Amino acid sequence: MRFVCLGFLVFAGCRSDSSYPSRPILLVVPWAAGGGTDRVARQVAALLEQDLKVNVNVQNATGGEGVTGHSTGAFAKPDGYTLTLMTIEINMLRWRGRTKMSYKDFTPVILLNRDAAGIFVRADAPWKSLKELDAEIARNPGGLRASGTAIGGIWHVALAGWLIAAGRQPTDITWVASTGAGPALQNLPSRGVDLVCCSLPEAKTLMRAGEIRCVGVMAPERRVQFPDVPTFKEQGVDWSMVGWRGIGVPRGTSQRVLHVLVPALERVVKSERFLAYMSTEGFGPACEPPAQFEQSLEQTDARMKDLLTSRAFASISKGQFGAMAFPSILGVALGAALLLALLTGALKKPEAGAGYPKEAWLRFGEAFLALAAYALLSGTLGFLLTAGPIAFFFMWRLGTRALVAASIAAAVVLGFYGLFAGLFRVPLPRGFLGG
Amino acid sequence: MGDALLEAARDLFLDPRVLGVILASAVYGIFIGSIPGLTATMAVALLVPVTFYLTPLEALAAVVTLEACAIFAGDIPGALIRMPGTPSSAAYTDDLYALSRQRGPSWPLGVSLVFSVASGIFGALVLIFLAKPLARFATSFSYAEYFWFYLIGLGCAVVVSRGSPLRGMLALFLGLLFSTVGMSSVHSQPRFTFGREELEQGINFIPAMIGLFGFSEVLRNLMAMGGPAGETVAKERRTGGEGLWRRWVIRPWMSVFGNTLPLLWVRKFQALLASCIGAVIGILPGAGADIAAWVSYGVSKKISKKPEEYGKGSLEGVIDSGSANNAALAGAWVPTLVFGIPGDSITAIVIGIMMMKNVRPGPRIFEEQAATVYGLYLVFILANLLLIPIGFLAIKAGSKLIKVPRRILIPAILVACIIGSFSNNLSLFDVWMMMGFGLLGFILERRQIPLGPVVLGIVLGGPLEEKFIQTMTAAKDPWTALFGRPIAVVLAVLCLALWLSPLLSRIVRRGRSNSGASLA
Repeated sequence: MRFVCLGFLVFAGCRSDSSYPSRPILLVVPWAAGGGTDRVARQVAALLEQDLKVNVNVQNATGGEGVTGHSTGAFAKPDGYTLTLMTIEINMLRWRGRTKMSYKDFTPVILLNRDAAGIFVRADAPWKSLKELDAEIARNPGGLRASGTAIGGIWHVALAGWLIAAGRQPTDITWVASTGAGPALQNLPSRGVDLVCCSLPEAKTLMRAGEIRCVGVMAPERRVQFPDVPTFKEQGVDWSMVGWRGIGVPRGTSQRVLHVLVPALERVVKSERFLAYMSTEGFGPACEPPAQFEQSLEQTDARMKDLLTSRAFASISKGQFGAMAFPSILGVALGAALLLALLTGALKKPEAGAGYPKEAWLRFGEAFLALAAYALLSGTLGFLLTAGPIAFFFMWRLGTRALVAASIAAAVVLGFYGLFAGLFRVPLPRGFLGG
Repeated sequence: MGDALLEAARDLFLDPRVLGVILASAVYGIFIGSIPGLTATMAVALLVPVTFYLTPLEALAAVVTLEACAIFAGDIPGALIRMPGTPSSAAYTDDLYALSRQRGPSWPLGVSLVFSVASGIFGALVLIFLAKPLARFATSFSYAEYFWFYLIGLGCAVVVSRGSPLRGMLALFLGLLFSTVGMSSVHSQPRFTFGREELEQGINFIPAMIGLFGFSEVLRNLMAMGGPAGETVAKERRTGGEGLWRRWVIRPWMSVFGNTLPLLWVRKFQALLASCIGAVIGILPGAGADIAAWVSYGVSKKISKKPEEYGKGSLEGVIDSGSANNAALAGAWVPTLVFGIPGDSITAIVIGIMMMKNVRPGPRIFEEQAATVYGLYLVFILANLLLIPIGFLAIKAGSKLIKVPRRILIPAILVACIIGSFSNNLSLFDVWMMMGFGLLGFILERRQIPLGPVVLGIVLGGPLEEKFIQTMTAAKDPWTALFGRPIAVVLAVLCLALWLSPLLSRIVRRGRSNSGASLA
């Protein structure tokens, strides 16, 4: 059946959506390859691929602390072929003024993981419990340094939220921004910071290595995989912060698609393979169907709104050095180097007679025109119908006979297409040759 | 140790499946590495779903083989079309290309292959024998140490640039400024985005690299086509009338390896030094094969008797930085295995694969899962040895590519530029970006400003800024922040010496010529 459809694709651009899914599905991940979210996503993708019998490709759309990936996924065509691995940041970004988008731009499909924040210290640190840590903060406000994510990121909010709940200022601990939990944790043994706030699976290996220790986890109860780690609640602190991961599709996706997708993902998330994977990785497994997931989203969103728009939080989002400090230094350095180079004559044109004839500049312009044409047209015409003519044009322009050029260009373009779209799973634009 | 080693060897050599996986990953790695736009990291990420069906040893073997092959293969398009396949090759692309033009691509690539293998094995030995103490060393690095260290890496790129170091500095600062475009990772604030959402992600170094090196080369070629027909790369010499055996086996073999094996002996000390530099840099989390290549290139130029050749076809430069980037690979596994701290972006994914396979990194891995660890060691050596025949075939296939007439080749490369810049982020904006950088590369080249430091600046700018701001926020005042820790002080002194060296050497030279004049 798929081959028949493929045949149609080539000739007529078969757009019939009689059966979903009939072509590869894209799973957008707002975080970098290799991180926790990415690993979960790739696991889901592989299992979903087996279930739905179509390719499920993972795309890491990183940047903007999750804004890029989430908005890529939210504003894609609501045809069920673009899924998004959503994370708790979708509940936070709006309240931090980073985007107008919210969880309401998605139709939630399934929630598949929850992980609470924990506070980690060096194994030889003097603070054995939350109480002792709190006493140290009271004695020396601002003296301790903590890290775990960017300023205003989920683990920073978790830590600052605890400080507020304990009646302290969120600035009583100096937050050192970091690109993620991994790089932050590495600064515990090297004594770059004193605390790291992140999730348990992220800190698991260093904990097992005996380098670091968890003072408490911000969850309602202890986790099965980490029976020795005490909760905040046990230590008399009523504060919890639990991150989540789930899958969503753009709002407006049809029921027909959801009738296929929801049960398929439910089978994946409940499968033995997936559960075994989550357990060995240390991720907290969870499974919430759409209605329940939507409810959780609403609750988390309301809580984040209260937290992030409160007065106490306004103070944490500013670092000491402005965003323009580093570029300014660089600008000055570049200016100085340029000035020196001009003064010493280092930039003089070396070969005087190396000018090009007019004809050459024409080809120079054509190359840019060709690329611009590709950038503008490949979305509608597809890769083959734009890159092919470009290759043909230049081969012909450089003196190849038209017929030869056409056949070689076709071979080159088809070869590239096969290599990238087939072997490397890079979804090249197909244009009207296939939806 | 003996039992575990034996078990590992049995697992590895008596199982055709493992060997099959290694062979397949080698071919895959060569492909990915030699196509500009596809990185080794991306290849490993693509491998993750496949590893579900593999045993732990097979999965790790696949990654190790893939990265070793991909990093070497990054040299191939560098030599053929002056477009580095991975950023680790950017330091010495000009040299490789110049050598190819002089003598055909087989020989310089053969040299690079032999030294890649030798240094890859050296890196594996470092991993095998020194993992634990070295991992301890790596975890003593914090914000300030990395700040100075990155500056050293950048300084090397300036010092090695041919002609005036000012040109290198211009290129570097330009690259660093490009790196500040987009969302600042420490401030979470967009900069220089002009309201475009695509720019918030910053300038991706892949389209930048393809534009600077690849598209600008296409432009140059297109423009020169009307003029006297010069070959892109020298053709290999041809002699007729020989037997099949000579023609298909001996001659290709000699063209690749003919003069390279003696070289291994001649440059043993320098290559050893380069491999040590590579291995140590690889061990540091947050510094990988690309910085290793630059630092080694810088050191190589400093100790060379022919520093004027660097950038114009220096075999020494190719050997030393090509050695360093391969040695760095195994180094990155040291903190990964011992502490579960990834040494580079590839080992970050590896940790995920390990967890999935129930291989738990940590100091106890050497006792608890000795067979897997020893298997991994053996794979490192095996993968590097396998690189010899596979790399050889790739070099020969690549040299065939060069025989394609330029009127066909150049348009095909243009298509490769498009697809390579698009495929990393599936973004047409990156195609525009590649165009822009192609124009920039064309202009810089005409002013003889080196392109490599621009790429290095784009790659390292983000981490440098991050470490700078982190150092400053973690300490109360800037002086204790930058000089408050012993290793940081050592690195700071090294760094300042490096950055001031062009100035100092000029003063020394002037002093000498003055005294010479007074004597006369």
